Amino acid sequence: MNASILRSTLILGLTSFIATFALSHIKAITYPVIQKQERQKQENALALVLPGYTIGEERTAAVGRANFTYWTGQKAGGNTTAKAYAFIAEKPGYSGAIRTMVGVDEKGTVLGISIIRQSETPGLGARVLEAASRNTFFQVVTGRAHETGEEPSPWFQEQFRGVNAAAKIAIFKKGDWNETMRDELLLKNGVSAITGATITTKAVKDSIEVGMATLRIALEEHAKAQEAAGK
Amino acid sequence: MSYYRVFAKGIWEKNPILILGIGMCPTLAVSTSVSNALWMTLAATFVLIFSNIFVSLIKSVVPSHIRIPIFIAIIATFVIIVELTLKAFQPDIYKALGIFIPLIVVNCIILGRAEEFASKNTVLPSVLDGLGMGLGFGLTLTVLAFFREILGSNRLFGYTLIPGMEPATIMTLAPGAFFTLAIMLWGMNALKSRKRR
Repeated sequence: MNASILRSTLILGLTSFIATFALSHIKAITYPVIQKQERQKQENALALVLPGYTIGEERTAAVGRANFTYWTGQKAGGNTTAKAYAFIAEKPGYSGAIRTMVGVDEKGTVLGISIIRQSETPGLGARVLEAASRNTFFQVVTGRAHETGEEPSPWFQEQFRGVNAAAKIAIFKKGDWNETMRDELLLKNGVSAITGATITTKAVKDSIEVGMATLRIALEEHAKAQEAAGK
Repeated sequence: MSYYRVFAKGIWEKNPILILGIGMCPTLAVSTSVSNALWMTLAATFVLIFSNIFVSLIKSVVPSHIRIPIFIAIIATFVIIVELTLKAFQPDIYKALGIFIPLIVVNCIILGRAEEFASKNTVLPSVLDGLGMGLGFGLTLTVLAFFREILGSNRLFGYTLIPGMEPATIMTLAPGAFFTLAIMLWGMNALKSRKRR
């Protein structure tokens, strides 16, 4: 009996050791690639939500319970420099947290949003990432497809551009958004919900509102700290 | 059993999903689009073949009362290899398949084949068994995904089929998967019972 316990333990231990050894090597190979991708993704998202701005420093502020990370951006125009900020907004959606990179100018007008992580239902909530593809299957098969390359950006994210994040954002059920709805919706500071996924839409909207409020606090604190350092 | 039979049984006679009725969870979850189904097949078949190889290699060394944890350790190792590789080199696919890549660890097909076949056979038949079972799994998954993608999102391989048509969303949700799978099971059983007569 004792011999069998010892033997089992040894075999199990050896298996685990070999498995861990192999995995540590796989991890060493893939880790830098994964890191690079994450950075690339963040840079792409920043460039998307602050178009034309030079991304400045990354700041972290302790607001409430969690750390709040935001970026500053600058754009020279005429004799003034326009300032803008990007932050990461997060709220649980229908299944799991939805993380959104949001770019706003000094007044709180949204310059662009980019959803960087979501796990919503495919075909419903996951349509936050859906771009209206210009190519149909038959066009691709018959070789009459449009040039790929520049795919249109997802309408759900596109419609947030110009919305005032500092005020309440309204949600309307108008079906899929298109460019013609922009003026009408912006007048009411609203966005169109994804059909059948109002929870997802509301989560993104709420996260932007909360994120904007947090950004305000963080900026005030930063200004205060600068002032104190100046004196 | 001839090598060919060992390989081919997974596709029809002992199709893991339609006949053995195992591996349903990933089947229902990732069959929303054909490309998801194909990548899932590739990932699962890779794990299946390599876990079969290692299980058949060590079958005489492992005491039978600790075989399950050892099998799980072997399967988990290959699943993590697949997960990290996909994450590094195919990030879009990794994002689309999400939690179902790590969940291959508990896919009944893989543990089932390790226990039922690889732990009783030599390496070559085990590889063929893994390949056959993986193909059977993949074929079922792809057919299921083909119908669900066309009807549920009006697309095929990610391209719109009929511009402007509103697709039947129910097909991308769980009920659509159950309906389609039920029809496939019905067809399979109808064919089998006709053959027997």
